[in-house]
Amino acid sequence: MKSLTRLTTNRWVRLAIGVAVAALLIVLPLISSKFVNYQLSLMAVFAVAILGLNIVMGYTGQVSLGQSAFLGLGAYIAAYGVTEGWPIPLIFLLCAVVPAIVGLIIALAAARLRGLALAMVTIALPIIGIPLAKRFREFTGGSQGTTVRWLSAPEWNEGFLENDQWRYYVVVIIAALMFLLARNLVRGRMGRAFRIVKENEAVAISIGISPYRYKVLAFTIASLFGGVAGFLYLGVVQYTSPETMSFHTSINMVAAMVIGGSASILGTIFAAIYFVLVPNLANEINPSLTALFSGAILLAVLFLVPGGVVSLPRRIAQVLRSLRRRGNAPARDAETPQNPSDGALAPTATGPKSTEKNRKRQGQ
Amino acid sequence: MMNLRNASRIGGVVATGAIAALLITGCTREGDGDAGPAEASPGITDTTLSLGISSPLSGPTAGPGSCTVAGLYTYLEAGNAAGGFEFGDGNTRTVELTYLDDVYDPAKAVSNFRQLVDDGIFAYVGALGTPTNAAILPIANEDEIPQVLLVTGATMFSSDQETNPWTFGLLPTYYSEGFAFGELLAERGEVTVAVLSQNDDYGDDYVAGFEAAIEGTDVEVVASATYEPTDPTLDGQVTELAASGADALLSAVSVTPLQVGVLTKAQSLGWLPEIFLPSNTSTPATVVIPGNGAAYPAVYTTSLSKVPVSPTFAEDEDVIAFNEAFAEYGAEIAPTYTPHCAWSYAEGAILEQAFLGMTEPTRDSFMEALHSIEDFQAPLLLDGITVNTTDPTLPAIQGLNLVQFNGTGYGPVQ
Repeated sequence: MKSLTRLTTNRWVRLAIGVAVAALLIVLPLISSKFVNYQLSLMAVFAVAILGLNIVMGYTGQVSLGQSAFLGLGAYIAAYGVTEGWPIPLIFLLCAVVPAIVGLIIALAAARLRGLALAMVTIALPIIGIPLAKRFREFTGGSQGTTVRWLSAPEWNEGFLENDQWRYYVVVIIAALMFLLARNLVRGRMGRAFRIVKENEAVAISIGISPYRYKVLAFTIASLFGGVAGFLYLGVVQYTSPETMSFHTSINMVAAMVIGGSASILGTIFAAIYFVLVPNLANEINPSLTALFSGAILLAVLFLVPGGVVSLPRRIAQVLRSLRRRGNAPARDAETPQNPSDGALAPTATGPKSTEKNRKRQGQ
Repeated sequence: MMNLRNASRIGGVVATGAIAALLITGCTREGDGDAGPAEASPGITDTTLSLGISSPLSGPTAGPGSCTVAGLYTYLEAGNAAGGFEFGDGNTRTVELTYLDDVYDPAKAVSNFRQLVDDGIFAYVGALGTPTNAAILPIANEDEIPQVLLVTGATMFSSDQETNPWTFGLLPTYYSEGFAFGELLAERGEVTVAVLSQNDDYGDDYVAGFEAAIEGTDVEVVASATYEPTDPTLDGQVTELAASGADALLSAVSVTPLQVGVLTKAQSLGWLPEIFLPSNTSTPATVVIPGNGAAYPAVYTTSLSKVPVSPTFAEDEDVIAFNEAFAEYGAEIAPTYTPHCAWSYAEGAILEQAFLGMTEPTRDSFMEALHSIEDFQAPLLLDGITVNTTDPTLPAIQGLNLVQFNGTGYGPVQ
């Protein structure tokens, strides 16, 4: 087990895994059916939306139940841009900027609130968004929504990539860039500030970090990610309607985020996989009882790996260790006091370092 | 020393990546089933035919959604048990129905559609929901897969056959429902009407149909108001409309508790017009009786199917057959009855007619046969309501019967 830990922290091994995953992501759509490609693209879409959610909820600790409203807003802006024939870069820019501005305006007021009050304000977003989308029919297509034929494989690529493959690459590349952005963000100065605001606002103020400003910032960034996810959503689904904004989607994204791993970049990817795959899985078991099975899967994951899927390797190591210790209990009793610190390890960002420290402490 | 070790590590990394890439590129994407021209379409053999449907089976729309599956499933399974379905090419086939849950989410509906196509369905039939079907529409038409007999009242699924020749609706539209009310009033001569409608395209379709029917007649709309589905109460709108003292109220409210509120509020104000209710909020047990509809001179609604749970139809042959088969095949999928169960059962019979007309085992032949049904009396549809599919720009069922509340249920208009 220890050698496995050492293996995963080795940067060459990590690089090799990274290259293998990248190769897989590049080659997979070429050999998969349209259905699989759609699933993969949808995962990329929701990964970006959940990533935004993770920045405001996981890293900064502010409850947001309105992410689907920004997803919908982005999708509507994209749909309007497509029907008006605007250039794609302009559409993309608007899909990022407009939801960010809307998010900023809402956050300026909402970030003064805390806990449940903030949750209530964010719940209101999809609740207001849906009737608004139905009312402004000239822009949104009303409750029938807007269908587009967009982001098809370009002509120069005739006979090489099909539409679903082309869309997959576009979506995955944009999603990868968003992930890179988010990773740099949460590992930098801003990410540290977010974490301090989450842990203790009084401490944050004492070292010159304005909790209010950083909450507004986190909310704005989350809205921007939501808007970009909306752009990608339209590219993949080719359709948007008030249902895109539904509160149901928001709450499912929150659940997925917790299951994948809160405050973790890798966890966000697991979250997106969970978000897209579980309904399919439940459909495979029994289409009449999907709600029941989705609920059971949710409970099982939360019960078995409370820290999210991302904590699974650590959890397995923990279980193995305790099993081994039980095996030769008397000889190893001295190690027991260190046990709690294993369980309380901070997620990925600080993970590797602490593991190293632990190893040293254990004299290795 | 260090450089050498690094170099060998880099080599390892490259090798891993290369192996992964090679392993994967070894396989190639399967062909998309581009068979020769006269070959059978996917999903059909000499003995079987597979159909697919994705409807909301969980979430707020689960009731009607489950019924769109249960009724169709009942009809098909009963037919299979009786030896299978006859086709126009002389073969008898068993028809399998694969159903999936989409929770009324368009993205999930597209995913389910793709999955069903991957699994090799011949046609996608009878799905419920305007946004979910709208999301599938462009894909179905791009890939030339029949997306037919859809359970939705929106006009968009049949109206544009040039762009979407593979899509086709089942039910009369909201527009035709409003039109039927207008026609009834137009026969009466001078009548004043108050109109209450939902502030979206559902409400607009309804009102547009009504206005088209009363155009040039002595029927006059003297007051109108709109509401949002999220409104907690419509008391304000009803009070405003009551001030007009109109003879009739067209209450195109699609939310059950709000519709009950409209009925109780108007009578508490002493305003007793004739009431017109849309078909989806006119169930006696949940709307008209709690709203004390008996207080009004008349309560009308539209109907197109017999009600299997009502004593009025207990002796009807169709209803007896339906109830028996439904208990065996459908009850597990849809525990509570909504009219959608009856509609989708009738839809099974329409499909059977199309199978009879299919001379080749192809999707083209199926679509042609589906669009050639004339004056077919499908089981469970009310007498006088027939299926006519020869005009593809109209849904399969266009007729509607106006019915009047008689204290316990609905009967003929008096």
